[in-house]
Amino acid sequence: MSWKSIGQVTGFMLILSFSGAHAQEEAAHLAYRQKVMKTIGASMGAISDILKNGLPHQENIAVHARVLRDASTLIESAFEKKVVEGRTDAQPKIWQEWEKYVAAAGEMTTASDALIEAATSGDASAIPAAMKGVGESCGGCHKPYRKPKEERFKR
Amino acid sequence: MARVVTVLALICLLNLPAGGQDASAIERGEYIFRASGGCSCHTDVENEGAFMAGGRAVRTPFGSVYATNITADSETGIGTWRDADFIRAMRHGIGPDGTRFFPVFPFTAFTGMSDRDLLDLKAYLFSLPHAERENTVTDLPPPFGWRPLLGVWSWLYLEPGPYAPDPEREAEWNRGAYLATALGHCAECHTPRNVMGGLDIELAYAGTVEGPEGELAPNITPDPDTGIGRWTTADITWYLRTGLKPDGDDTQGLMAELIDNGYRHMTSSDLEAIAAYLKSLDPIVNRVVAEKPNH
Repeated sequence: MSWKSIGQVTGFMLILSFSGAHAQEEAAHLAYRQKVMKTIGASMGAISDILKNGLPHQENIAVHARVLRDASTLIESAFEKKVVEGRTDAQPKIWQEWEKYVAAAGEMTTASDALIEAATSGDASAIPAAMKGVGESCGGCHKPYRKPKEERFKR
Repeated sequence: MARVVTVLALICLLNLPAGGQDASAIERGEYIFRASGGCSCHTDVENEGAFMAGGRAVRTPFGSVYATNITADSETGIGTWRDADFIRAMRHGIGPDGTRFFPVFPFTAFTGMSDRDLLDLKAYLFSLPHAERENTVTDLPPPFGWRPLLGVWSWLYLEPGPYAPDPEREAEWNRGAYLATALGHCAECHTPRNVMGGLDIELAYAGTVEGPEGELAPNITPDPDTGIGRWTTADITWYLRTGLKPDGDDTQGLMAELIDNGYRHMTSSDLEAIAAYLKSLDPIVNRVVAEKPNH
């Protein structure tokens, strides 16, 4: 084998190892931001479970709302790196309209604050309206920035 | 004395709702309107169109159909329609001048509504602000655009109503069946259609990738793996009230509009009746997956 051949093979291996590492890094970003989203979804699901089934955990709603609120503040950093390839439902528009996206994510923090307030006010009747506000903030981001269900990856 | 009577009569007239409609009919009609999904297709939200003034392009596999103006504007809407005209349109899909409507307007479902509910709905629609907006002409490619053929279509696929309760079933089930089939028109989106646009009743409620507006409509039969068989009654009523699924995810697309403009305003007992009906359907294994390439 000539030195040129050895150099060529080494070059290919180097490029492959870097692109493999790059793909793994991107997959890790996707996995992380999806976990942030799932944390939010799980909190919404838990609050919904309490309300729709009348579970004796009314006092837990504020705790779930705080988790929701704190997780919502992570959206900006979790999505900061632009990753649009792979198993993701994120629309590239997120990074084209970054400021608007961050503002939309901020709406969830604001809506969650209102939910915390409702949950700690002692007036249980205020909770559904506050939940509706949080639900609207989900849609405020999902509608413009998540792929429609016809295009989502198979989970 | 005569002058006093005249003034009193005028005051009474001025206090009547628009069109001289009975207030309680309008109130009941609003509920029917909500239970029908808020007639969401008739407002062109994307282009900030007037409420119920039509113009919205509803994409179908056969082309785009433009929703019509159903405000009571006498020139461009349905303001000149008599009660009988309204009932015929909703029950048979035929306008006062004999024009047949494209079945994207779900008259095959609305046909099941009772006369009273239809007239209450008319009273509510006539109480809304009139919007002057000429209807956009729908131009479907042949043969789908040939309106005379729609008579044949109706002969094949329309079972004229109103809904007849099943005496073998409980009142809650019958109420749920009425709400889901005649008003909520669930099957219209959640059932695949054949090449002629008729519902494939073998797969009723089993979902389709070619729902209205090109949206994927999920399987809502009680199959545990491909449908909503794992959803409890509370999950279904909560979903119709909030748009939130059991996993906490929210809803987008036309269904989000139907919930927001319509279903969420329904009473708990009516939502429970719908849930009871949906849970009573035969489970159908049908995984609805988009055919578009996924990553």
